[in-house]
Amino acid sequence: MTAPLWVVEADRLGYAYRNEDANLALDGIDLRIAAGEYLLFCGASGSGKSTLCRTFNGLIPHFYGGRLQGEVRVAGKPTAKQSVAGLFEQVGMVFQNPETQLFNSSVAREIAFGLESLGFPRAVIQERIISTAQILNLSALLGRNPQELSGGEQQLVAIAAVLAIGPQLLVLDEPYANLDPVSVRRVRAALKAIHQKGMGVVISEHRLPHTVPDVQRMVALQRGRIVLDGTPEQLLAQNVERFGLELPLPVRVGRQLGLPRLPLSVEALQSLDLTAPLPSDLKTVPPALPSDAADIVLEVERVSFDLNGAPILRDISFTLRRGESLAIVGANGAGKTVLLKHLNGLYRPTRGQVRVMGKDAGRVKVSHLARQVGIAFQNPNSQFFKLTVWDEILVGPKALGLNDEAWLRELVRLFRLEPLLQRPPYRLSDGEKKRVAFAAALAHRPAILALDEPTSGQDWHFRSILGSLLAELRARGQAILLVTHDLSFAEEHAHRWLLLSHGQVVAEGAPWKVMSDKAAMDRAHLEPTDSFRLFSADGRTLAGAVPRGGGNHV
Amino acid sequence: MFDPRTKLLLALGYAALIVASTRLSGSLAEGGVLLLFIAVIGKTRSYLRWLRMALPMSLFFGAVIWWTADVQIAALAALKLLTLVSVFFVFFSVTLPEDLGNALVKIGMPYIVAFVVSTSLQFVPTIGRRIRNVLDAQRARGIPLEPGWSALRHYPAFLGPILIQAFQIAEALAEAMEARGFGRPGRTFLNDYRMRTRDWLAISFGLLVLIACFLGRHGWG
Repeated sequence: MTAPLWVVEADRLGYAYRNEDANLALDGIDLRIAAGEYLLFCGASGSGKSTLCRTFNGLIPHFYGGRLQGEVRVAGKPTAKQSVAGLFEQVGMVFQNPETQLFNSSVAREIAFGLESLGFPRAVIQERIISTAQILNLSALLGRNPQELSGGEQQLVAIAAVLAIGPQLLVLDEPYANLDPVSVRRVRAALKAIHQKGMGVVISEHRLPHTVPDVQRMVALQRGRIVLDGTPEQLLAQNVERFGLELPLPVRVGRQLGLPRLPLSVEALQSLDLTAPLPSDLKTVPPALPSDAADIVLEVERVSFDLNGAPILRDISFTLRRGESLAIVGANGAGKTVLLKHLNGLYRPTRGQVRVMGKDAGRVKVSHLARQVGIAFQNPNSQFFKLTVWDEILVGPKALGLNDEAWLRELVRLFRLEPLLQRPPYRLSDGEKKRVAFAAALAHRPAILALDEPTSGQDWHFRSILGSLLAELRARGQAILLVTHDLSFAEEHAHRWLLLSHGQVVAEGAPWKVMSDKAAMDRAHLEPTDSFRLFSADGRTLAGAVPRGGGNHV
Repeated sequence: MFDPRTKLLLALGYAALIVASTRLSGSLAEGGVLLLFIAVIGKTRSYLRWLRMALPMSLFFGAVIWWTADVQIAALAALKLLTLVSVFFVFFSVTLPEDLGNALVKIGMPYIVAFVVSTSLQFVPTIGRRIRNVLDAQRARGIPLEPGWSALRHYPAFLGPILIQAFQIAEALAEAMEARGFGRPGRTFLNDYRMRTRDWLAISFGLLVLIACFLGRHGWG
């Protein structure tokens, strides 16, 4: 029997970032990655996944500095003794944000960059561009500027740029974090195809439903240490929730039913010949509807919007009541954020009207509308400029002259910000930044709170905290507008959905009513949630497979 | 069609011609030729969009000159500035930044310098989007950052996030570049940057036109 060929070997690996000597980001890691493996690093935010990935291509320690203990070897050679430029032939890395890793003027040049670095002759570069583009279905985009592509296409271009080099191992750091469901499907399919061709793939990700059905092995990390290592079935049979991981719904169903082999996807569960009913307590329960008598705080009436002559929104109407939570859902580019910007006058409708608290928003200045509409945009870094969290929260109330100290103290308690108040907002984790941005949006007590992609790139722990915060706000009568492509979150935390596709409302109503409209969902390029597919009669019909005995929970 | 260096030399030659103009009619003719060229290469729409920024800048420059000199000199100065920046609009419409950078590397410019220049140009739209996002986020909080003098009072709310994001982009970009072998010796290029016969012919023709124009203006001796 021959020994497996290790692409990566880590022995007693420890690492502390520069100026954080006391805080080990990695601690005592022993790991072997075999050639051709498809592996998932999972764990809550800050568990060390991304740091570990960066040790494989030498970015740690060569780019980041800091203190490295132990050793990482790639193809048998220590990374500490090689440069990043020397290692990238063996380990290709794709980063989380596609926008900032693409720096050429065309897709073809982006793919060519690594090959040019390696000094390949022009003919070889051209041949590799064509073959790589074919594998990832990018041939039609070769002449396009990467910055003009969708998030999913950009991520595929970033993968192509690494794949063309032909590394032994492709490492992807949270590749799905900023992508909508359509793009996630495309990238997942591409990675499966790459793996089937024999290349090793490592993904760092905390959202398990996207990854566990695809991978062969999972490694869970917590506080820089490996806490579990095995096949997905082995790991998910254990209590992984204690490591900040959310079990995929089919796995939870399988565990509750005591299935000998855990189903990793809805399809796997539905293919089983089940006799027991599905456990109804796992069904997502939407929040209780507010009273019909609650005041209407927002009315959007037949709004259309054109930008540079192109139609962006078409004939959109809806209302929002006090205590109600409405989710505007749709794929990236559907017009969700543009619609959101109409609520506080950042955009004015070309036709139609937006009324906030009964007043025509088209006639009111943005700074006045801000009193009624608090918006937290997707990237909190776009707003932070104060030196402490407390000052940052005070910005809105001071600008609007609406300073209510008691409410601000209440907000700090509600958003669990006490330990962070004197820290600089830029130094916080992504989840903490989001919490500060949400509190800042609420600081002047607006009638409407609007959150743009609030769960984007966030782990289960953050989603749970946000979920309970929203429940508490709803109970206090806060009107909430969620703009998201995270359908599971929207299903759990919104009373109603407005499904957008190409700037038009294609379905509206309770989450399950919207998801049962297959034509609308197809038009919006969205797939129903796992909960809907498993527990609703429509979902099971749509999936084309009905598990025996599972039909009494709708 | 032409090597980027040829295009750069022709653009610089035309710019010299514009700078040397002393009469309004001459500047108008040079501007007319440019407009014709822009129409031929099919860039009229993007030129009109770009004019929304360049025209006020030229008018402001003309107004300043008018204040210190007379109206004719002011009109000539404004027109010269507009045609001068239009030359570089045309140049960057027909030349990709990294083509220019890579071609300059061929004549001895350090690759890192060429790369910094071309990538900076490449990221202008990204920074533009970030600026838009910062403005929207701050205005949504009630900070009056609408265009105007009052916005100047709130410059930290604008500059703080922009500067920090610019550093973040630079760091992420540097990491991505390192991970794809930036700075590794022995780099080759996808495109072949070679001065061909047609380049030398174009440069010679451009030079002849330049000499003829100068002689035409200043007499044959």
